[in-house]
This record gives sequence, C-alpha cells and structure tokens, in this order.
Amino acid sequence: MRQEIVLAMLAKEPSHGYELRARLGQALGPLGDDMNAGQIYVTLARLEKAGLVTCERSAGLADRPDRKVYELTAAGQQRVAGWLAEVSWPRPDLAEFHLKLVAAAAGKLADPLAIVDAQRRELLRRLSEAQRAAIAEPAASTAGLLLEGIVLRLQADLRWLEACERNWTGRKESKQ
Amino acid sequence: MGRIALVGRLVAGNLRRRPVEAMLLLLAIVAATATLTIGLILSGVTSRPYLRTRAATAGPDVVASVSPTFGGPTGPGSSSTAGQSSPGGPATPRPPDVALLTALEHAPGVTGHGGPYPLTWATMRAHGLAVAAEVEGRDQVAAQVDRPRLTAGSWLRPGEVVVERAFAQALGVAPGDSITLNGRPFTVAGIAVTAAFSPYPQICAEGCFIDTSAIPGNDPGLVWATEAAAKSLASSGEPVNYYLSLKLANPASADAFANVRDSTSNPAAPFLVSWQHISSADGKVVTNEQRILIVGSWLLGLLAVASVAVLVGGRMADQTRRVGLIKAVGGTPGLIAVVLLTEYLVLALIAAVAGLVTGRLVAPLLTNLGSGLLGAASAPSLTVSRVLLVIAVALLVAVLATLVPAVRAARTSTVRALADAARPPKRRSWLIATSARLPVPLLLGLRVAARRPRRGVLTTVSVAITISGIVAVLCAHAVFDRGFGVTTVSGLPDPRTSRLSEVMLVLTIMLSTLAAVNAVFITWATALDARHSSALTRALGATSEQVTASLSVAQVIPVLVGALLGIPGGIELFRAVKNGANMAYPPAWWLVLLVLGTLVVAAVLTAITARIGTRRRPVAEVLQAELA
Amino acid sequence: MTDTTLLRASGVCKRYGSGDGLVRAVDGVDLEVAPGETLSIMGPSGCGKSTLLHILGGLDRPSDGQVWLAGNRLDKMGERGLARLRRDAVGFVFQAFHLMDELTAIENVELPALLAGHSPRAARRRATELLDQTGLADRAKFLPTALSGGQRQRVAIARALANEPLVVLADEPTGNLDSEATLDVLRLFDSLHQTGQTLIIVTHNSRIAATADRLISMRDGVFVDQTRLTGGSTGSLGALAGLEG
Repeated sequence: MRQEIVLAMLAKEPSHGYELRARLGQALGPLGDDMNAGQIYVTLARLEKAGLVTCERSAGLADRPDRKVYELTAAGQQRVAGWLAEVSWPRPDLAEFHLKLVAAAAGKLADPLAIVDAQRRELLRRLSEAQRAAIAEPAASTAGLLLEGIVLRLQADLRWLEACERNWTGRKESKQ
Repeated sequence: MGRIALVGRLVAGNLRRRPVEAMLLLLAIVAATATLTIGLILSGVTSRPYLRTRAATAGPDVVASVSPTFGGPTGPGSSSTAGQSSPGGPATPRPPDVALLTALEHAPGVTGHGGPYPLTWATMRAHGLAVAAEVEGRDQVAAQVDRPRLTAGSWLRPGEVVVERAFAQALGVAPGDSITLNGRPFTVAGIAVTAAFSPYPQICAEGCFIDTSAIPGNDPGLVWATEAAAKSLASSGEPVNYYLSLKLANPASADAFANVRDSTSNPAAPFLVSWQHISSADGKVVTNEQRILIVGSWLLGLLAVASVAVLVGGRMADQTRRVGLIKAVGGTPGLIAVVLLTEYLVLALIAAVAGLVTGRLVAPLLTNLGSGLLGAASAPSLTVSRVLLVIAVALLVAVLATLVPAVRAARTSTVRALADAARPPKRRSWLIATSARLPVPLLLGLRVAARRPRRGVLTTVSVAITISGIVAVLCAHAVFDRGFGVTTVSGLPDPRTSRLSEVMLVLTIMLSTLAAVNAVFITWATALDARHSSALTRALGATSEQVTASLSVAQVIPVLVGALLGIPGGIELFRAVKNGANMAYPPAWWLVLLVLGTLVVAAVLTAITARIGTRRRPVAEVLQAELA
Repeated sequence: MTDTTLLRASGVCKRYGSGDGLVRAVDGVDLEVAPGETLSIMGPSGCGKSTLLHILGGLDRPSDGQVWLAGNRLDKMGERGLARLRRDAVGFVFQAFHLMDELTAIENVELPALLAGHSPRAARRRATELLDQTGLADRAKFLPTALSGGQRQRVAIARALANEPLVVLADEPTGNLDSEATLDVLRLFDSLHQTGQTLIIVTHNSRIAATADRLISMRDGVFVDQTRLTGGSTGSLGALAGLEG
C-alpha cells in the first residue's frame, strides 16, 4: 500500500493505529478483508523514520503499535498535498500477457487460443464475483463505487481478450 | 419561380408515393360533386319538359269540357267524388250541352280553339292486362291548337288507335300491337304526347270528367281513336263527353280565365282547367325527384367529407414526418402549409372536373322523367355559375378537411415531427377500468377504440348518414305501399314511383358503397395504428384471432351507435323532405333487420380487413418489425 | 428427459432466405436448463442469440429441431397453443421495455393476468404484489412517460411475472439503461434468482452475463463455450483493486 494513503488518512486528525485500520477497512468495504493489517503498522513505522509523522504514546499504555497516536508533520502534510495533486494512473499490465501469447506461439509451447480461453474464463469468474459483491452493496455506497470500478476494468479486459481471440484465430487460419 | 417549382416537385412526389390513397380521395370527392351537379342540373329543369311539349304540340292554354248530367247533383268532379250517383239505380243521363262549350270559342281573349272532341271511357286489354282507358275521338292531328305529337308510328286510321306515351310505356305496347277496347280489337298505329292532359297516371289529377266507378282501376290512360269509334264505344253507363282546347291572347291569364268561368253550381256548365294546373301536376314528379337528388347529394357530400377526413387523418403520421424533414432543411411553416394545401387542392380540382363531367353525363338519364313529356335536359343547363358552385364546393371540402391537420403539422416542433411522434393515444381511465371486466376481445377492442376517439366519431357519423338515407328511403317505400298519393291500383307500375324508386336505389347504393369504403379504410388505418400494441398483446399471449376480433369490436361499437342514431335521423329527414305527402313509418322489423344487417356487414368487412392487415405471421416476425 | 430439466432444446436451427441469400441464424443448438437456474447467453450482435430466445419463448418457430418446455413440445404446437404458452408459461422482457404508453404501471402489469382470464380484482392484487416486490409500489399510478428507464424496465419485469411463468426470458434487458439503472435491474434479477425463478438472459454485455450461474458463449448461430460461474474464483478481488495481498 502506498505510504501516501496512510499519510492522507491521518490528515483529518491524529489517530490511533487501530482507528486508521478501521477507517481504511470501512472505505474498502468487502475488499477490506484483503487488506493486510500488519502492513499498516509497518508503513507507519517507516513514515515515522522518514519524519513524515510523529508518534506519541498514550499515557499509561504499553508500548504497542496500535495504541500509539500518530500525527502528521509539516513535511507529511506537504507530501499529502503533492500526492493529491498527482494525476498518474495505476499502470496497466497488458504487456506481460501479450508477450505470453507471442512466446507460446513462437516456441510452439502451447496453443495461444487455449491460453486466451483459460484467462477469459478466469476473468469471467472474477467479474461474476465482483458483480455479485456490487449488487450486495446498498445503493450509492462508497465501497460500491470501488466495486464498480473493478467490474468496469474487468469488462474492458474481457473485451481485449475477445479481440485477442479473434486476432489469434485469424492468424491460425491464415497459416493453414 | 423556384419556390413554385419546389412546391410542385414536393406535391408531385407525395402523390406518386401514395397513389392508392390519392385515388380514394379523388373518388370520394367525385362522388359528392357528381351528385351535386346532377341536383343542380335538375333544379333548372322544373317545368321545362312540359313547356317543350307544350311548344311542340301547340298545347292549349285552357281546356274546357262538358259532361252529361245525371238525375241528381252528380257532375264534374275528381274521381274521388265519383260515386255520388243517386240512390236507387242509375238514372238516365242527359247528353252534354255542347253549345255551352262551343260558346267559349267566342269568349273575349280567346284567339283559337281545337275541337270539341268526344271523350269516353272503355276497358282496354293489352298484353294480358285490363286497364281503364280514356278514349278521345280524333280523326286527324291538324288543328289550330292542341296537336298531339307522334313519337313513334303514324296517326290512326279507322280500326287503329294511338296510345299516349307514358301509358304505352307502362303497358309495354308499341306500334303494331293489338289491343281491345271494350272487347273490340284495334291495332296500335303510333305513340304520341300531348300537353292537353297530364300524362299517365295523372289524368285524373285535375279532375276526371266522367264518373269512372264502372271502369276498372283508378288510374286510366289516354288513347286516341276515330271519332266514330269513340262514339260507338260510349254506352249508356259511359256516355260521351266533349272537350275543347282554347288558345288565349294572353296565356299567362289562363288561370284567371278558368276561375272566372268555372262554375260548380251548374252541373251542365263547362269545366275549365288552365295549362298551369296541368303543368304543376306533372311538375310534382320533378320536384320530388329533384328533392331526393339534392338531399342525396348533401348526404353524399357529408359522407365524402368524412371519407376525406379519414383518408387525410390516416396519412397524418406520414405527413408529420415529411413536415419535419421540410422544416429540418429550412422550410418555413408557410411553405409547409402551402405544400400540404396545394396537394389536396390539386386533387380537389381534378375531382371537381371529373364530378362535373360525370354529373353532366348521368343527369340526362335521370331527367328523362314523366316520359309523357318530350325530351331531356341538355347541355345548356350546366351554366357557368353552376360549374363554379360545384368547383367551389369541392375546394371547400378539401380545404376544410385538411386545414386542421395542416395547421397542426406546421406547428409541431421539428424534432418531434422527425421522431414521428404522431399524436399520442388518449387515455381514458374509466374506460380502461371498465374494459378490464370484459372478455378479452372486448377488452382489447374497447381500448383500441379509445386510443383514437375521433376516428370512432367519424365512423359513427358515416354510418349515421348512410342509415339515415336508407331509413328515409324505407319511409318513402312505406308511403308507397300504403297507397298514399302515388299508386296504380291496376297493377301497372306507376312510372313516377318506379322512377323515384330507381333514383332512391341508386342513391342508396352510392351511400352504402361510400360507407363501406370508409369502413374498410378506417379499419385499415386502425390496424396500422394499433400494430405496435397488437404485436405486444400477441407477445403477451393473446391469440391472433383475439386481436382480429378486437379490431372488429373497435369498429362495430361506433357502427352500432351510428346505426341507432340513423333511425330517428332518417325519419326526421323524410319528414322534412316529404313535400306534403303523408307520413308513414317503415315496419319495425325492417329497421331491426337494417341495424342487424349493418352490424353483420361491418363486422365481416372489418374482420376481413383486420385479418389482412395483421396477417397470421409468427409473432417474432411481427415483433421484429414492430418491437425490435 | 429428466425431471430436473425445465427447458430443453435439441438440434434447433433457424434459417431465413434461400440459395445465395440463405442465412443460418441458429445452426444446431442443444441446451438444457434446470429449474431455478439463471443462464446467460452471450455473444456479439448478429450471432443469433435473440432468435434463439424467441424460439425458446414460443415467439417464433424453429426450422429444425425440437424444443420442450415442462414436457410440452413447442415446435409442434399450433399458434393458439403458443399464445397460451406465452401467456401462462413464459415471461418476456424486451430491451425497449415495450410498455403501453396509455396505461399506468399497474395497468401494464395486470394486463397478462387479464388476458389469461383472471378476474380484474385478482389481476389487480397480483399486480400490486409484484410492484411491491420490485420496489415500485409508490409509482403504481404513474404513466410510463413519467418513469425513468430503470423503473420502466422493472415494470416490464413485473409484467413478465404476472402469470407466474415457468421461465423468464430477457433480451438485452439493460441495453437501454445507464449503469445505475442496470444495477437496479440486476438486483431485481438476483432477488428473483433467490426465489427460485428460472431466468434466461441474452446479452452482449459481459457484466450482465456474469451474474448468471452458467454462461454460454454463442457465435454464428452455435454455442462455442460454456462456463460455470458460481463456485468461487481463484483470485481475490483485492488484488484486482491494486491491494497487495
């Protein structure tokens, strides 16, 4: 998880570790379960070392990470502002699959169509799961929006896979 | 110039795209204008034929006659008063005083005379029929006044007779046939017309000169024989009368002349009738016919307007889209109105001309009336003013029927017009709620009818007009059957009623045909309009029979209302038009039969049309076209 | 034919035209649908999926092959029998909704019941029930023009359920809807699925197709692929969202 996310979550007010975790979990909805809780504390420690957050121990409590209260420093605030203004978009990873097909065909390692088919089936199953989760969310929920994004991405990927299928079928036929 | 060319091209293109509808519109207006033309032509024919006969035969201005007098105060009078013979057996008649008659030859104002000619009554048998005949003794045609004009054959010689034309037509005799008078054989030498008597069967309309109670039948006809033969046919029961034709210096004063000298107090004195009276008796036929035709053409005109409204309404969706296209490329509402109206006006003009020509050709057939009079209406009766009137009416019909759609089309917003958003169907909550309780065809049918109430009204109006016409005709027949006014007891067809019946039959057929065409077209338009909902209802599980039945129901309900309205409508129509004849109502079962018959015809017509319109295709094909 | 098959098709073909103009819209399709199953048939436009759906629903006749619905042979039925079938056994949902414009929502929904001969009161009761189920109880007296696209389609779905059909057939049910309305309709399909309604959805939209239990891919009139969608997948959604595991 990107450090800036954790930083931004602290921007509202100083919070305990467990509060942060709860907030993140709420925002992610069903996907919150996939989040690795330990990751947050590791990230917080790194941020403290980098001087972007300060950490205060709550009075009278043992030295446990989730009981610490974290707060943004000035540098941390600057970092958050910079991150919010960024417009880079998550990188797509199409090249890997594309090269997989090319390699399989060139080396006669496997039938590219079979690969495409298998991937398609998998994506359909994931799409199905994502769509079901989206339906289960109440209308206009924030988490539902995240699921919508997943669904639409999967749809786009499936469309690309269909194009791959058409393309590789054509190649096969022209060779014959 | 460019604009005119543009309008012309748009109009021509549209007419070419939908030739059938244009033809139907044309026919509808032609029907109306043709009957209007006939009516107008006839209106100018009032007493012309009589006048022509009078001119051709040098008809008399006054006819005077003397009859024998009997023991009591019998005397001249119409056949309806015959039967005033004194009780206790026939008295001996005193011969007529011919001197009184001939004295009139020298009366002031008289410039010529013909006769006196003997008249008597005989029983005539011809072609197996026994009828009464008034026999006039006349050796030759030549005379100062009153010269019967031969239309067939030649004048009589001893042993021969000449028969009056209307009488001859009713009997079916022609020159060369044999007839008998009081059992004595004669040959028919010729057929002639005269202006001195009203033609058969109106001879006794202005008073019969002889007591005819002994002769069969109430409607005698005129026959000429030689003087000797006429006198010999006379008997003690039917002695000889005499009549004299007079020509006056001032023909217009004939009425006054007759009134002054006519005396009913002295049974032996001459009985005088002016030519105007004789003319009017005949004129009654013309007037009746003319009335029927004018009323008929009004009915047809109204039906034509309804047809036009239907035909135009049926094209509305198409027109709306065209309007949208014209607007989208920059046409102004003015241009659109011009295009739409031009189209219909062109059709109306063509139809008006066609109607005028048709009317001109058909009128002579119908104006060949009371065949006892010469000739028929000829070309000159179609005056410029009449032509203009007919054209104006046709244009008015077209303009009226198209004005509303044209204005609405021009006002529709371009986008809506292009999207072919034709008038959205109306919603009637109470009707939808009530229809839910009915069996499926009625449920669907009522809802279909409710979507376009104006079309339902048009159907009702069309049917009401047609049924009114038919009921008025039935009333007329009821009057005929009851013997009021115009019947022939001898069993011969009364040429007047048969003519009137002919005319009424023609009108009835025209009305019914136009109404049927209307019904077919309205059903077609409804079926097209209801395509979407029919396809959808079939997809939801209605069978195609139910859908066809519903379209029939949607038509039959307004037809029923129209038929029921037409009954009182027709009765009132007859009452307004009957021109003094007695009122008679057709028997109830005729009316019931008429309504049922109309419903059956409507149901069958619309079922066939709807069937063709919806066609038993698999639902998916229909869906593809409608619901894709 | 086993008891667990509600709908069965065997060797179904549909041909249009002849000679050079011959089009094989459906070219030999075998299918079995179990009761309570949601099946989706996915394919590009022109692959014949709508034609197949029409044949399964009794709206069209196959050129070849047999179709059974609850033991009745569809391909041998007369027009009247098919009409009865459409009325009582099959509910159809169209892409363009196809509600009657002059009827309110509730009048649209009760129409199939009235066509089936039920009393107006019973029909009205059933319609009210269905509109409640679809969450449109407050819109019952609205005309279609006053409803949004999603609401209209939900009314259409309620109408399809009016006579308790054995199977509901939907032809591109969300084709004319935006994503919000699409979700509403999908929720409705899901709740129908929970009640055990058999559902066949035809679409070219993968996200709609993905809600089914079973997905069949169709191309050029034949089935080319089948995927079972219920039963979990091998990845987690979090990874798809960019959350490292």
